[in-house]
Amino acid sequence: MMLNSKGLFIIIEFALASMIIVLAFIMVREQSGKDRPRISVIIPDPDASRWSAFRYGLKMAAEDQGVEVFVVSTGDILTLEEEINMIRNEADNGVDALILQPVPGEDAVRKLKEASKKIPIMLVGDPASEDGEKSQIPVTCPDDYHMGKALAEEVLRDFNGNVKGKALGIVAQNEDSVETVRRKKGFEDVMKGKGARISWNVCVSCEETDHNLLENQSKTDLVIALDDVSLTRAGECVMAKDLHGALVYGIGNSTEAVYYLDTGMVKCLLVPDEFDRGYQSLTESAKNLGLYSHSMKGKILSFTVLRRKELFTKKNQEIILTMSQ
Amino acid sequence: MKIKFWEYMGRLKPKGMQSTVMLAFSLISVSIMLVLGVVMYMKFSALSQREMIQDTETLMEQTRERLEEYLIAMRQISDTVYYNVIKENDLSSQDNKIQQGMNIIYEANRSHLRSIAIYNDYGSLMAAEPVASQKEDPDVIHQSWFEKAMEAIENTHFSTPHIQNLFDDAIRRYYWVISLSRVVDFTDRGTPMSGVLLVDMDFSGVSRMLRRINSNTSDTGQYYYLCDSNGEIIYHKKQMQISNGSFHENNIAAAAYKDGVYGEKFGGEHRKLIIKTVSYTGWKLVGVIPESTFTQGMFDIRYFIIMIILLMAMMLAVINRVVSVKISSPILKLNDSVREYEAGEKPEIYIGGSQEIRHLGHSIQRSYEQIDRLMQEIVKEQNERRKSELDALQSQINPHFLYNALDSITWMVEGERNDDAVFMISELAKLFRISLSRGQTVIRVQDELQHAKSYMNIQKIRYKNAFTVIFDVDPAVYTYCSVKLVLQPLLENAISYGVSSMDDSGEIRVEAQKQGERIILSVADNGLGMSEEEAELVLTDSDRIHKHGSGVGLINVNNRIQMLFGKEYGLVVESEPDEGTTVSICIPAVPYTDENRRILEKGHMFGADAINNREKQDK
Repeated sequence: MMLNSKGLFIIIEFALASMIIVLAFIMVREQSGKDRPRISVIIPDPDASRWSAFRYGLKMAAEDQGVEVFVVSTGDILTLEEEINMIRNEADNGVDALILQPVPGEDAVRKLKEASKKIPIMLVGDPASEDGEKSQIPVTCPDDYHMGKALAEEVLRDFNGNVKGKALGIVAQNEDSVETVRRKKGFEDVMKGKGARISWNVCVSCEETDHNLLENQSKTDLVIALDDVSLTRAGECVMAKDLHGALVYGIGNSTEAVYYLDTGMVKCLLVPDEFDRGYQSLTESAKNLGLYSHSMKGKILSFTVLRRKELFTKKNQEIILTMSQ
Repeated sequence: MKIKFWEYMGRLKPKGMQSTVMLAFSLISVSIMLVLGVVMYMKFSALSQREMIQDTETLMEQTRERLEEYLIAMRQISDTVYYNVIKENDLSSQDNKIQQGMNIIYEANRSHLRSIAIYNDYGSLMAAEPVASQKEDPDVIHQSWFEKAMEAIENTHFSTPHIQNLFDDAIRRYYWVISLSRVVDFTDRGTPMSGVLLVDMDFSGVSRMLRRINSNTSDTGQYYYLCDSNGEIIYHKKQMQISNGSFHENNIAAAAYKDGVYGEKFGGEHRKLIIKTVSYTGWKLVGVIPESTFTQGMFDIRYFIIMIILLMAMMLAVINRVVSVKISSPILKLNDSVREYEAGEKPEIYIGGSQEIRHLGHSIQRSYEQIDRLMQEIVKEQNERRKSELDALQSQINPHFLYNALDSITWMVEGERNDDAVFMISELAKLFRISLSRGQTVIRVQDELQHAKSYMNIQKIRYKNAFTVIFDVDPAVYTYCSVKLVLQPLLENAISYGVSSMDDSGEIRVEAQKQGERIILSVADNGLGMSEEEAELVLTDSDRIHKHGSGVGLINVNNRIQMLFGKEYGLVVESEPDEGTTVSICIPAVPYTDENRRILEKGHMFGADAINNREKQDK
């Protein structure tokens, strides 16, 4: 094939023009900039201090991953319908992914599965129903059963394993939540056969009846608070001397919970890594949006046992720092 | 595969002069631009890096100054509390002046302060502002700020940020503070005592400064952090990530550096570290610029330079094209005219373009003109030579034959056969008239036959009618062209080799007819004949010794015919021993006209095509 001069000239000009067009296209695209992915977070009562570390984790991950994160304003308690409506609204508003705390309920798993077909969802709580149906949606949360067991082990450690005859009161924010059920199961499994008896169970977020008021409960040796809301409620009662001298053990993740530990109102505090819950859930969601090959994975979060004596060690101060943001 | 690719590329390479010039110009232009582009980019890149480092240094210098101002302000608060309040008053005085003084200072600086407190050397709280209830057993003497103050009593100590663990906060919050502690002397109920003055600064003042300088760089990967002289981090935007192990920082190494700019490789990435030491505390303000930040900042410039290079390349390609056309066009035109000349046309050789090319054109034209002239001279020489050969051949006939004829006439006159002598002379006259033919080489076939008849009449008289001659002629052949005196040598041979030795039974038969586009003149005798081998030698062996005849061989006749009509024409000899010999003359049927004659006389090389063209035109 012999190139004549004109042909060569046309080929060179055409190649150069093509390169200029491609380059111009790249430059325009770079200058216009790509919109940052948007991720919404749906959690009940998002302004509560128990979410401080979680929100801080979200913020840090958003900076690291270059995404915009919106925490949707909700009420103290979310129903399944409200949550599904919010998911739909956020999807309609064009968010790229959702992070949410699932509402307990029979239909939660099914409805979340349907919603996750439209928009990627990362859960920060396990929605598995009691019959064990799994959502198949990635979940970033602590191992609640293991935390329940660890709480019981801390109690036993303080009593040298001898809790025979001790009366226990168990308090939780919502008796039906998977989180509460598993923690309670873990606690009870360890305490089984140790001679302690559970005198009462209280749900602090349920309707305020005499039955549900901590102050109205019979005297027990120990009060076990299975979540931050119930722990702070128990701490308040101890401070008001309404718990008849019962020792409080519990799980919490707010500065109030730490304060009650610091002031001796709570004997032992288990703190789930809420910073990591926020950081990991958002990081996974963002990676899933940015990388086609990346599939979202959940994570089992760690937890820390806090005692008053070691409350201000360097490591524990960092935990408190995340709660103080 | 690789070899095939290069073979293909080899075939792609331009072969035209214009393409080569343009490609060469383009390659040189692109190479120069690429080099320029790379140099420009490197220059810009170095400049940009230097500017970025300078900007960072300036920003860090300002931040350091603000930090120092902040720390000096704290120190001044501590000094004021100590020298103006504590030293001047008694802790247990009635008017509570120390508390009042601390209160005034605290209120004046409450945006930066978390608390001011005085502890005795046993760790008991002596006074505090704001007034707050102390936590139950805060274990003051084992807190690091207290220990450090007691370790070096003459100094003022700044702690790293920590949670204040002294007072009970009603709103159940925990505060990050930097503790400034020093040993102080105070008087309580008139008793001099020593203790520790603690000024807890709100860490948010420091973190706000660092957050502000970090906020503008979050997209570039550049960041700043603060650590103490041991490398312990005071502020880092990814403090929690460092804590949980998802991010790593080279803070220990950075703390060992003095002020300046350093390059390091950390976490698989090259980066620049800019170190500024904060006075009074020994804290290190560290600016980190990863290599990617420099390249990220250079993307726009990189694209811009590439765009300019491409646009310039496009423009240069156009310029190169124009220049290459300008340079090569005269040469190409010259080449085209030479090609046309080579193809047989006779155009004017192109004369144009630059002086050198014009000179080349002139030279080529002169060369071609010279070649033409030489060719014509050669042709002319050839023709003349051929003509002279022809004339020589023809001249070979005359003396021999004339001698014989005259001998016969002499003999007739002596024998008083006057009528025969007259006939003989008459025939001889015809013979010579045709032989001369005004010097023409090509004559009518009719004249050639007449010449043959005259010749045979003369010969018959000479041989006393020892043989018979029969002319079988198609009159249609009379008007065609023939070469002069071609039959005579054939008849002479027929007589000499054929019938001369026979008694009265000898016979020579002369035939003339038109066969297609050819005229066939044949002479056949019934003489001795010859073998096939001998017949072949008749037309090839010119050195054969002639036993009889004039010595003009058939070869001469054959040559003459072929000279005028071409190699495809000439003699054909057919002979059988004891049967006789037939020699045929084969010539083209060219109508006799003066013009055809003249053309044919120029020779076959120059005349055949012209005659053919004329015939085509006539048809």
